[in-house]
Amino acid sequence: MRFEEELVELLPRLRRFARGLARHQSDADDLCQAAIERALKSRDQWQQGTRLDSWMYRITRNLWIDERRAAGRRGVHAPIDDAATQVAGEGAAEVEAGALRGDVDGAMARLPDEQREVVMLVLVEGYAYREAAEILDVPVGTVTSRLARGREALMFYLGEAA
Amino acid sequence: MSFDPATVAAFIDGELDDLTARRIEREAATDAALAAEIARHRTLKAQLMAHYTPVAEEAVPERLRSLLAVDDAVDDKVDTSLANRRSARRARFSGIHWSAIAASLILGLTIGLRPWMPAADVAIDNGTLVAAGPLAEALDTQLASTQPGDPAVRIVLSFEDKAGRYCRSFESRAIDGIGCREQDRWQIERTLPGQRRGDYRQASSGELAAAAAAMMKRDALDASGERAARDVGWVRHR
Repeated sequence: MRFEEELVELLPRLRRFARGLARHQSDADDLCQAAIERALKSRDQWQQGTRLDSWMYRITRNLWIDERRAAGRRGVHAPIDDAATQVAGEGAAEVEAGALRGDVDGAMARLPDEQREVVMLVLVEGYAYREAAEILDVPVGTVTSRLARGREALMFYLGEAA
Repeated sequence: MSFDPATVAAFIDGELDDLTARRIEREAATDAALAAEIARHRTLKAQLMAHYTPVAEEAVPERLRSLLAVDDAVDDKVDTSLANRRSARRARFSGIHWSAIAASLILGLTIGLRPWMPAADVAIDNGTLVAAGPLAEALDTQLASTQPGDPAVRIVLSFEDKAGRYCRSFESRAIDGIGCREQDRWQIERTLPGQRRGDYRQASSGELAAAAAAMMKRDALDASGERAARDVGWVRHR
């Protein structure tokens, strides 16, 4: 019972995280729904006493990556690119510094997935580097370098760059 | 600037030990480049928070909540607890909405059809613009983390400013701005025309977030920090 109750408590934050990943609220809620279903199905894998929020964020994030990969194979989205400096999103080339002033959605959409998820976890959800690294299953150094690149790109798009 | 960009970022993210963090704070007081770099980071963070925080304040769609409502006997426990939570939430906010609802009923208006402010939101006190009526009440009591979906006054961020005061940025239909706590009242420091929801909202939110970021001593308060500040009446203990 506690499991469901804790999940209910988490839902507002989880929706926010999903919204950051998926941009559109309906897509984000679909993602949340899939994550909840997955969590209910594999609740045995959650260890009592460990943080449910980190576990849920990990599930949500992994489902999103799966979804992006599948869409990439279908040619719907650009596939996830490991070249972190490469800017994702359509029409990225003509975006100049400050062109997206105030358009956080637009600026976030232009980040590669791997930078966007780190920005959400650390800057919005307030996780420590180490916690974000655990959720993403990457070294802390990877978190900080992706975060640095994501930040610079966002400042550039949003017009804060010097 | 004697700190590398990674250290400045770690400072913003609260990842530095206290000693180094204090050194950065001290140096930023005299090093304009460092201060500008910190402000740049704070602005970005404030912009992101202003953009995404409202999502966590929305009512969770039924299709998601219903997935977690279990059936059978144990089920009652969940329902009860949800119902309790809902009624607790109602009780908490009833004070805030009461005056608006009462005024609307008296005037025969319908909430939602025509949002109505029964009392002025601001007043002049000894030549200073201060919050009054529902705005003052919202600044006093409302928490950004638990406010209802479409409040008359929406608290965006709460933070400590460089003068050591608690400040809160807010949006309402009449006025958007930042109020800072001084001697039992909320001094209105920044104002922008209020929003009636819509296209201009985003631009104005960004402006408000940037103004707030420029005033912040450190990051905005999180949910527990905000609650703690409210519980001590927004008085800073130094």
